[in-house]
Amino acid sequence: MTEVELSPEVSEYTEVHRHPEPKTFISKWIFSVDHKVIGIQYLLLAVVAAFVGMGLSLLVRLRLVWPEKSFAILGDLFPVGAPDGVMTPEFYLAMLTMHGTIMVFMVLTTAPQGGFGNYFLPIQIGAADMAFPTLNMLSFWTTFVSFSFLMAAFFVEGGAPMAGWTGYPPLSAVPEAAVQGIGQDLWIVSIAFFCIASLLAALNFIVTTLDMRAKGLTMMRLPLTVWTWFVTAILGLLAFGVLLAAGVLLLMDRNLGTSFFVPGGLVVSDKAIDHSGGSPILWQHLFWFFGHPEVYIAILPGMGVTSHLLATFARKQVYGYKAMVYAVAAIGILGFVVWGHHMFVSGMSPYSAFVFSVLTMCIGVPSAIKTFNWIGTLWGGRIRFTSPMLYSIGFVSLFVSGGLSGIFLGQPTIDLYFHDTYFVVAHFHLIMGVAAIFGMFAGVAFWFPKMFGRWMDESLGKIHFWCTFVGVYAIFGPMHYLGMLPHPRRYAEFTGVDYLQTGGAGDLHYFITVAAMFTITVQFLFLFNFVKSIFAGKPCTEANPWEATTLEWTIPSPPPHDNFGGKVPHVYRGSYDFSLPGAKRDFAMQCNKDEAVYGGAAAGD
Amino acid sequence: MTTTTLTPTETQTEPTTNGGGTVARPPHRYGGGSSGPFSNRALIQRYKLGVWIGVGGIIMFFAALTSAMVVRSGLSNDWKPFDVPWILFLSTAVLLVSSFTLEGARRRMIAGDWTGVRLWVNGTAALGSVFLACQLLGWQALSERGFFLASNPANSFYYLLTAGHGLHLLGGMLALGYVWMRVRAPQRWATREAVIEAAALYWHFMDVLWIYILGLLAFWR
Repeated sequence: MTEVELSPEVSEYTEVHRHPEPKTFISKWIFSVDHKVIGIQYLLLAVVAAFVGMGLSLLVRLRLVWPEKSFAILGDLFPVGAPDGVMTPEFYLAMLTMHGTIMVFMVLTTAPQGGFGNYFLPIQIGAADMAFPTLNMLSFWTTFVSFSFLMAAFFVEGGAPMAGWTGYPPLSAVPEAAVQGIGQDLWIVSIAFFCIASLLAALNFIVTTLDMRAKGLTMMRLPLTVWTWFVTAILGLLAFGVLLAAGVLLLMDRNLGTSFFVPGGLVVSDKAIDHSGGSPILWQHLFWFFGHPEVYIAILPGMGVTSHLLATFARKQVYGYKAMVYAVAAIGILGFVVWGHHMFVSGMSPYSAFVFSVLTMCIGVPSAIKTFNWIGTLWGGRIRFTSPMLYSIGFVSLFVSGGLSGIFLGQPTIDLYFHDTYFVVAHFHLIMGVAAIFGMFAGVAFWFPKMFGRWMDESLGKIHFWCTFVGVYAIFGPMHYLGMLPHPRRYAEFTGVDYLQTGGAGDLHYFITVAAMFTITVQFLFLFNFVKSIFAGKPCTEANPWEATTLEWTIPSPPPHDNFGGKVPHVYRGSYDFSLPGAKRDFAMQCNKDEAVYGGAAAGD
Repeated sequence: MTTTTLTPTETQTEPTTNGGGTVARPPHRYGGGSSGPFSNRALIQRYKLGVWIGVGGIIMFFAALTSAMVVRSGLSNDWKPFDVPWILFLSTAVLLVSSFTLEGARRRMIAGDWTGVRLWVNGTAALGSVFLACQLLGWQALSERGFFLASNPANSFYYLLTAGHGLHLLGGMLALGYVWMRVRAPQRWATREAVIEAAALYWHFMDVLWIYILGLLAFWR
């Protein structure tokens, strides 16, 4: 076993047991129990899923502006959904459903938590691996099975499901409805597997954070990234079990003749359905009890990365570290008591709606604290405008833009008007979709040198940032206006309906589609930069190229097996000791003793 | 950046899991403390913490089913209350006894008697199988009364909740099977105490969960 050289920044450390390295290709790269390999596996799965999901969104946009146009390749791939290459309305709904499902589960849930969390949480707390490495491997492969089931739904008879990523019954619960066949069943099974994978992963993250921290690394010294991964894991633990239960009930309704969600007296395609007494609203309650925390599962890690990077590149301490921690916790707790705001139009007692509305407004408080503190962190900093920093600032911008429309939608009276319009599409894409994606971009750009020992191309990164930033605002900005017209969402076609053409709506839809095509094209620039840099990027030999403070920057790039090679650094300070008055440098690493920071034996040289 | 070799200020040797008993170490506090991450005591704590967290997830699963049941029972007039089969009380007794036998296995482990551990684990697994068989008989008794899964929502939840608990118990049986296999060479098994402690904790939780479910089925009509 090769000796691992810790950076001389490490003042003291503890020697612990080392684990043998895996020998075979399979144990090293396929069924690996190493959290770093598993993290990269999650990231790759998310990248594949993101490009599939993006392709689906392109189809959705194309269908909206050219409903009659024939795309020969679609005719070959989906002879039923797109006969002669012309997309049917059912096909449009199926693409919409799959886009949402793939993006929410396979991208927004896997990459920030399973990808970056897996890779960096153990290193940032000074551990050799997760608490339960084998369980970690099982989590990933269960996720992979889930992804495979979801992909299979495209190719079965009846095609992909079309009940939306929310799977609302009765459409999702009655096989006789529309052209749906086994696709919806595959969707439910996929989600069930995903729930199990996420529960196992959440368990692992929580135990790792509580039990594996290095000496001196108290909870209030944790990097905010770790805090957000930790809270995200708690949300996952409490939310995914509920979705699993709901999924089981839905599957039984479809296949075993029970009536949990299917009401009586339902007639589908002139045929009476043999169910009675169930309630679709019951599904909505169960689903959104999961669904709202899920929003925070997607966005919290992005918040953590943003806080982390703003401090690092502004060379300042995180403004209000404790407030940030409490805000994350508050968002997590409040996230469980606001699910009703997704259901204002489903029919709800005005009193319940009022309570859900007030609780929803309450989330504005911790969100505002976070935004305030991000700006406070930037204020007066000596900002280094690197590409990860640009992505982080982009995150703040998108978070604010998307969050403000949330205050509108949290009012039942306004939501009644906006709920089924493009206003909602704009809102959740900005805050949950694109903001979270910018968090991932920031994470990739920031940690790439550590993960692969090479640099990504900085100029390409900046070009990609600006194009994407402008692109997403061009897509989702006009949707707010469309929503106010109001243009209903989930409609496969607007042409030929006169009242939907007023206010320049037709031209706007055309503009949005062009903007989407542009933004999607730009993502290939990122993919190119990512893949090229893995193999041919400029080598990064330094342990700490960004002059950051946390523990992952004390070990070689890429990190060796066992991370610290059996040496756990001791921690003496918080995560963001930048620009300490009287210090020799403008940053103090967590493993620096005071003597090393202020004088005495010089550290690092 | 040059690298210098530092001498460790504190050294932890691998705990004597190779043949020795449990290592006596000061109680481990979260984060810090001087006991190492690989001492048996720390492993036991980590595994038990894992089970406790897992229990949280399982509770949410059954809480969701409970709330669905409560809501569904009030939705329409197709809810037909029924008496739970008497055999469930037998299975409850069997399950409770099995917790004591597993506790017996844990006692033998502390005493270092690995043959005894295997014996008690065998007994526990047997009782677990009897429990599951009783549950199946309960299903049979219900279907003989003409109550099937889709007959009415009360029946649906009966089958669903018992099956859900049964599957979780089956997971516990798998854990026992793992213990049983590994106990043949306990000296080469570093996590032996931790796994047995964790399995015992999980098994006891299965008791509590079952009593809750039985109460729900018997009294929420």
